[in-house]
Amino acid sequence: MSNIDNIEPPLIKDEVGSLHPINQVKDFLLNMLADLGFQEVDGPEIESEEFNFDMLNIKKSHPARQMHDTFYIENKSHVLRTHTSPVQIRSMLETKPPLAFTSAGKVYRKDDDATHLPMFHQVEGIYVDENVTFANLKDLIHKILHNLFGKDVEIRFRPSYFPFTEPSAEVDILSVNGKWLEILGCGIINPIVLKNCNIDPEKYSGLAFGLGVERIAMLKYGVNDIREFYKSNLDFLGQFK
Amino acid sequence: MKFVYQDLLNFLAEKPSKELLSEKLFQLGHEHEIDGDIFDMELTPNRGDCLSLNGLARDLNIFFGKAEPFKIFEDDIEPLNLNFKNLSPDACPKISFLEIEIEGSTNTYKPYLENYFSLLGNNKTNLFTDISNYISYELGQPTHCFDASTINNQLIFENKICNDSFETLLGSNINLEGKNCIFTVDNKIISLAGVMGGKSTACSSQTRKALIECAYFEPEEIIGKSIKYNLVSDASHKFERGVDIQAQEKILRRFITIVQDHAAIKNFKIQIFDDTAIEQSRIPIDLERINKILGIDIEKEQYLMILNNLGFEINNNELNVPSYRNDISSQNDLAEEIARVLGYDSIKSKPLEIKNNLNENINHIYKVKNFLVQNGFSEVINFPFTSIKDKKSITIDNPLDSNKSSLRISLKSSLLENLQYNERRQNDSIKLFEISDLYSRDDQINLERKLGIIISGRRGHNYKDFSKKLDFNYLNQILNEGANKNIFTIEEISRSDLKTKKKDKIFYTEVLIGNIPGNLYKDYKFNEEQINFIKYQPVSEFPSSVRDFSFSILDFKKYNKVINLISNLDDDILKHSYIFDFYENKKIKEIKVGVRLIFHSVLCTLSEEEIQKTTQRLLKPVLDLEGVSVPGL
Repeated sequence: MSNIDNIEPPLIKDEVGSLHPINQVKDFLLNMLADLGFQEVDGPEIESEEFNFDMLNIKKSHPARQMHDTFYIENKSHVLRTHTSPVQIRSMLETKPPLAFTSAGKVYRKDDDATHLPMFHQVEGIYVDENVTFANLKDLIHKILHNLFGKDVEIRFRPSYFPFTEPSAEVDILSVNGKWLEILGCGIINPIVLKNCNIDPEKYSGLAFGLGVERIAMLKYGVNDIREFYKSNLDFLGQFK
Repeated sequence: MKFVYQDLLNFLAEKPSKELLSEKLFQLGHEHEIDGDIFDMELTPNRGDCLSLNGLARDLNIFFGKAEPFKIFEDDIEPLNLNFKNLSPDACPKISFLEIEIEGSTNTYKPYLENYFSLLGNNKTNLFTDISNYISYELGQPTHCFDASTINNQLIFENKICNDSFETLLGSNINLEGKNCIFTVDNKIISLAGVMGGKSTACSSQTRKALIECAYFEPEEIIGKSIKYNLVSDASHKFERGVDIQAQEKILRRFITIVQDHAAIKNFKIQIFDDTAIEQSRIPIDLERINKILGIDIEKEQYLMILNNLGFEINNNELNVPSYRNDISSQNDLAEEIARVLGYDSIKSKPLEIKNNLNENINHIYKVKNFLVQNGFSEVINFPFTSIKDKKSITIDNPLDSNKSSLRISLKSSLLENLQYNERRQNDSIKLFEISDLYSRDDQINLERKLGIIISGRRGHNYKDFSKKLDFNYLNQILNEGANKNIFTIEEISRSDLKTKKKDKIFYTEVLIGNIPGNLYKDYKFNEEQINFIKYQPVSEFPSSVRDFSFSILDFKKYNKVINLISNLDDDILKHSYIFDFYENKKIKEIKVGVRLIFHSVLCTLSEEEIQKTTQRLLKPVLDLEGVSVPGL
């Protein structure tokens, strides 16, 4: 290549952008759950108290319903949904069992500090059929966590409380530094919720689970401050190509 | 709730080690942290019954047996004839009073009482209040102590709309609004029931005759009050979660015993106001159902043994639910009790196969997003809260920031903020997009799912695009010409209202997702790629430093090596490098290659010396080549 006429100009690489890491993790979870048989359903972020709370057995006295925890809008006529569960309520009302749905998206709580934001993302799932048991729920949660953290991950179930599930559990994984990390909440759908959705709790039972997308993203990417996801900093976003 | 390890051991028949106790508390669902001998519990809101030593011991009974270390006064007590009226029995179905008078007082407490203050860091107040606080720790029931000499007329309990000021026993003045449970004397509020008493009737070290109130308040009537009035109290925490409606007499009898331990009692009387018949809660014994919920095969004997140990009484074919377990009403609740005691981890998984025929089409939004990413755009996500109000805007009743009390009806202002943020961080080529649901209202709430795109700065960093700007034509070509349809209305956003010295033009477009035709991405291929969980590198908060170099290549044999070397520069402080200029001067037989190096550090602003040193090291292999130079370097 001693002749200037034979010189090839430097190769131009396409400058690709990036999908937001939270949406990447959300889609990853949804795809994984689709592979397990779940179908994604969609719903509004503005909800009635009935669908956001009442139908889910969250009583008027529950702390989550207070003005300091939930964003109320238009003279308390509606709320910004505090979880994606109302989407599942709508789906259960429209579909007869067996059913397996996931719902994902933005949810809102009146929080703002280094570990909590007023908006974050959830992926939730429900499965309703005859004879769905807590032992089945454990199998499903193991599959999800093995997909996320590998087959060797150590998993711990411990009792918890959610008004819409009974029994309820929180699930932890053992981190490399020997600490248990809370990963998701799950449980057997409370028969009251099934009844609210016109599903006969004597015949059917169901399981439900929910994951915080930001929490999974922080663990998987090693991001320590949740606020980094929402600064829209190209130096940050560009790392997730 | 905090407790001292030794205190809980006193309530247990066996004496487990701290480690074993911790393990069993976790198994039962009682999260906690341990600091020395102090257990700091984080109990779930349905387990108000465990907010005491006695309550935790009841739950641990199955593992360690429960002891009854405390004495209660067991003799007959003279009845009290208190001038009291309960005007709201729905809010307070049961309330009891103890009037107790002592001779003298003491500053010296028995070890069990003294330790409660010294080991847990609680402040002493006066004998009656101190005993009240200790009993709440021991048995979980808050009591309130009035100085009996200050109550000279009818005492009334009422759940009513208030518009009054009230001075708490801590001396803060609050204005009560809306419905509140209150105690009054002569129409004057003396206590915000279930939350905090008032100063005018509070006990002091001089108090010799106290009226101890012990009540059950409906949680719905107490919840939210402590936050509303910024009055944090152990009492409200417990009443919000529900206390044992049947324990009042036992609590007051225990109160007498502790007073007896510390002072000579002159006189005491008791009165219980039972305004509502309280029904025993019962659940049928249904082992088959329990096994079906959990997916286990437990024997009836074990099932009954577990529940019996948790305080459930067997009554023919039913179980009597203990009065302190407000959270138990169904077979699913019982299933959780069984599972907790067996241990969630001991329940074996059973395979779950969900049969569902799914449509595996990759959806429209996914394709639009990936089309944009392949064209160099980066996705952002913004909060919907905005200061921009429009007649269609939806208003938040209780915003976090009163300046941002509306929900955005357009993505424009968020994306403009994102663009300016990145400009301030020295990004010179910005292409961002966001897809979000937007809500507005007329006579109903409307939802639109929109895509917003904003651009400004250089078209790219390669030598062909470096000098070109992102402009209308660029966006139009990618979007409208790409879609073969003019559906994207592209506008220029004026910089005149923006606080910026930047001059690059800003272009913006927003469109309904549903209006974007599939033509836009018809020539692109999308695969559902595996996610790459990279380890994120912290982003520098310090300014970057830019250095440009123009390489002169006279020996063309070295050309490929030069390009290869400068395309693979790498250093911890080298954020980015690229060839921004390429020129062949055929006349003088010289090739010019312009290279930009951008340096930054996550630790500090880099000094000129550090940058120079790194630059020399990085460029040395290139400059060592004969026939290659950087004129002027």
